[in-house]
Amino acid sequence: MTRVMATSGPVSGPVSAVQALQAALAAEDAAIFGYGVAGAHLSGNRKSAAEQDWTAHNEARDTLSAMISAIGAAPTAGQAFYRLPFEVNDAASAAMLAAYLEEGVTRAYLGLVAVSDQRLRMFGALAMQVSAERAAFWRGSTEAFPGLEPS
Amino acid sequence: MLAASAAALPVLLATAGCRSSDAFAGPDPLAGRPALSPDVITLQAVIAAEQAMIKLYQAAVNANLAATDRLRVLEGLLAQHRQHLGQLQARLVLPSGSPSAQASSSASAGVAPLQVTIARLRAAERASAADLVRRLVAVPPALAQLFASIAASDATHVVALGG
Repeated sequence: MTRVMATSGPVSGPVSAVQALQAALAAEDAAIFGYGVAGAHLSGNRKSAAEQDWTAHNEARDTLSAMISAIGAAPTAGQAFYRLPFEVNDAASAAMLAAYLEEGVTRAYLGLVAVSDQRLRMFGALAMQVSAERAAFWRGSTEAFPGLEPS
Repeated sequence: MLAASAAALPVLLATAGCRSSDAFAGPDPLAGRPALSPDVITLQAVIAAEQAMIKLYQAAVNANLAATDRLRVLEGLLAQHRQHLGQLQARLVLPSGSPSAQASSSASAGVAPLQVTIARLRAAERASAADLVRRLVAVPPALAQLFASIAASDATHVVALGG
């Protein structure tokens, strides 16, 4: 099934750890796919940066899968194909896609910050710092509230 | 302004001292000053820290610490810290005349006018992010998310400052 690359917004109520971990896993899977597309339109240092980020998202996916398995649930498999949020046909749109992907990952990890397990909260908070830094790199600017929706 | 925060993040009210009896709801006029909940105390500390951060940036900007390009970066980061402060303060309502409210504002007044270097700003951003992550484990989920988001913003500021 084809899915649009997007993740849910911040979660405000009690959230199950499995649900939040699966959402983070889904965002990482989408990022892995998206960086494959973005990387094809980048060159030089930015291509290298995209490749590093792709590798980091693969590692994060493995970590999340292991965490989900460890609490007795089955990690949801990623999609074979994701519909891009906009056309990616040059370096500028590739960078925009990378920023978009990182924003989605950041929102997903913010969901983990709402669970009751303190270790998972901290894990989510630290993970979203990394994705927010990558988003700022690709966007070229910082944000006041990474992961939270602007009104 | 945040749609999610405005809709989802509750305001933390100073806990009112209540009668032990369930017959009446609301504050007991004989109970003295209300105690503050741990969440309120945490939020006050975070607000004070954010105010100190703003003073640090203001000192850096006023001292013309940096070249024009860098100055623009500093002003941009300062503006984001003011947004942080606005969102944090919006979560807190204290009774007027509360000693804790006064303590909160006075706590931020005394940032030493030391030489503010970019390295000092970077260190302050790092410390702020770490402090917020440490604190977010013990507050309600919605406030934890605000702390995490601000911590992530601080982390990006470290990079923007060349860290």
